[in-house]
Amino acid sequence: MPSIHLQGFAPDAPTQPLQLPHVWRAQSLALAAGAVLPSGFAALDAQLPGGGWPAAGAVELLQEPGAQHDWRLLLPVLGSLVAQRSGPVVLVGVPQLQVPQAPGQMPGLMPFGPALAAQGLPPERLLWVQADAPAARLLACEQALRCADVLAVLAWLPRLTGCAPEALRRLHLGALDHGKPLFLLRPASARQAASAAPLRLLLGGVDALELRIFKRRGPPLMQPLLLAAWPERLAATLAARRRPAPRVARPVVHEEGVYALARRVAA
Amino acid sequence: MHWLAVLPPEPERQAWVWRALRFTPRVAWVDEALLLEVSASHRLWGGPKRLLRRFFGSKAAQAGVEWAQAATSLIAIAVLRLAASGAQPARGLLHDPATLPLHTLGAARPHLATLARMGCNTWGSLRALPRAGVARRFGPGLLSALDAAWGEQPESYPWLSLPEVFDESVELMSLATSADELLWAAQRLLGLLQAWLRARQRGVLACELEWQLDLRRLNGVALPTHQRLVLRTARPTQGMAHLRRLLAEQLARTSLAAPANHLRLRTLETTPWAGASASLLLHEQSKGEHLHELIERLSVRLGAQHVLLPLARADHRPEQMQRWVSALGEVGAASRPAGGPYPVDALYPTWLLALPLRLQVEQDVPQFHGPLHRLSRAQRIEAAWWEANLPARNAGQMPAHSAALRDYFVARSAQAGWLWIYRERPAADQDEVHWFLQGIYA
Repeated sequence: MPSIHLQGFAPDAPTQPLQLPHVWRAQSLALAAGAVLPSGFAALDAQLPGGGWPAAGAVELLQEPGAQHDWRLLLPVLGSLVAQRSGPVVLVGVPQLQVPQAPGQMPGLMPFGPALAAQGLPPERLLWVQADAPAARLLACEQALRCADVLAVLAWLPRLTGCAPEALRRLHLGALDHGKPLFLLRPASARQAASAAPLRLLLGGVDALELRIFKRRGPPLMQPLLLAAWPERLAATLAARRRPAPRVARPVVHEEGVYALARRVAA
Repeated sequence: MHWLAVLPPEPERQAWVWRALRFTPRVAWVDEALLLEVSASHRLWGGPKRLLRRFFGSKAAQAGVEWAQAATSLIAIAVLRLAASGAQPARGLLHDPATLPLHTLGAARPHLATLARMGCNTWGSLRALPRAGVARRFGPGLLSALDAAWGEQPESYPWLSLPEVFDESVELMSLATSADELLWAAQRLLGLLQAWLRARQRGVLACELEWQLDLRRLNGVALPTHQRLVLRTARPTQGMAHLRRLLAEQLARTSLAAPANHLRLRTLETTPWAGASASLLLHEQSKGEHLHELIERLSVRLGAQHVLLPLARADHRPEQMQRWVSALGEVGAASRPAGGPYPVDALYPTWLLALPLRLQVEQDVPQFHGPLHRLSRAQRIEAAWWEANLPARNAGQMPAHSAALRDYFVARSAQAGWLWIYRERPAADQDEVHWFLQGIYA
């Protein structure tokens, strides 16, 4: 059977992957839909779509029971935000302490100003909204997103009940509408729950911050990303304390001396 | 000069005065008619026809009320009286009032009989009489009225103005048994408040809503006659949206002691307000509300003690280094009261416990979800030794103010991460050391 020779078709050309703008290949990260905020960690920026945290929309950070790394991960981006613009960062709620706590008391934990100021976030730019019920926390988030002066909203939702996916989706849409980043900090048991946030991370680890990105606009990250868990100055101080003390050189003894005691006592 | 004379029905007189003051500052009551002088406002409202249309609101309203327009005020009142009595004069501006009957001129009313016997029945015939004789016989008032009617003498009346303080009350159509019904009636009062604010060029800072209760006694308990609600906002405002939301939130939290029949709104505090200039650049126009509105709304919803701002304090004890104050009190201040610089140190933890937690100790090793290994050497803090110890010290409880003699360590727990713990140096009468957890590194 003679082969059909089609005019203009070169069968020897190597097959190039399609580079059309609207064709997305499953192995590549998506471009960010809007502006991004650099996260302060180069290794993390390389893995986030667009090269940083989304400047508008919800990001879910799930923390494993054990070590908490919320401030360590977010202080660089919050520090750069408050340095560029004026307005407060709104904190809604607190993480839950792992100790029994009497109801009606002041919440167990509170943000400590001097430590935040040392890492770039002046405490005068904070607005802390305490609320116990999850519904009240969600309402506070929604109201804070609507305010034009607010720069970012951080919300701690330690309980699974009361945070329905529809409510979180509404928060995400509100954050997109008003152009503000919303960071939701939830327990790791919320991993199985559906969520409308386009970026979801799992934080763990004690000595090093282990990050697993299991939902993003692109393939999920299989291996954990290891970041420095502690601020540089703290880690440097503790490392210095662990090193053995340097040996001090013995003082030189002068042989010729004008002092009475320097002369050897004649036997 | 363009004068309008309106005869408003009895229950709407106040509303007509307010509406007229929107268009011109020259508004006066003369006899039974409301007079407006609008020639100076033509250009603002786009011409006399448009002004009339805006003033009356609709053709139906224009047809429903008696009104007249003329070049001078007395001609306008005369035409109005003719229309009210049934005769149909021409609706256009009357420049030459010679044919108007004399009973429409207010100044001539006491002398109508005499003038009729003299044969003067119209304004023209009165004006034709010699001036000196008219002044001698009827008084100078009639002469000046004639001159004013022909526009040769300026007319001046005691002009009306808006009250200094807004204080309006409205009677509810049906007894209000719940706060939502009050809200509906209060919307109307807020609309009036906005009109008053715009006319007087002021912004409102605080206003009070008061409702009168219908019952004197309920279940044997004597009730107060009125119940009040005060709305305060940090920045003066002319728009009612924020006040309406605050009112809705506060009314949702109040309960009426008895059904209410009257509602009254009055302003407590207003300031002259010129309006803020907005930027024309798109990226500088901020969409959304202001920070003080957010704080006020959240404070009403969650309680003022739950919306907090930190203030620095000069103290070496970590739990006293900052003080959380309610944002509602601080939002009005132009700048935050400087509480002193923060002791900035990267060795501090980012989360602090409000009350330090006493740790269990086993074999000299403090325990918190496992044994704690110390990572750093001691940082000794001795402060407030001048404050006497409170006598009662419960186990695990820490008094608010006491001498702090502590050695701080950074410790590592396999399950809880890095913690900030301290060992309390024993007082003279104690033998054992106590370990406390005060911070969590995040």
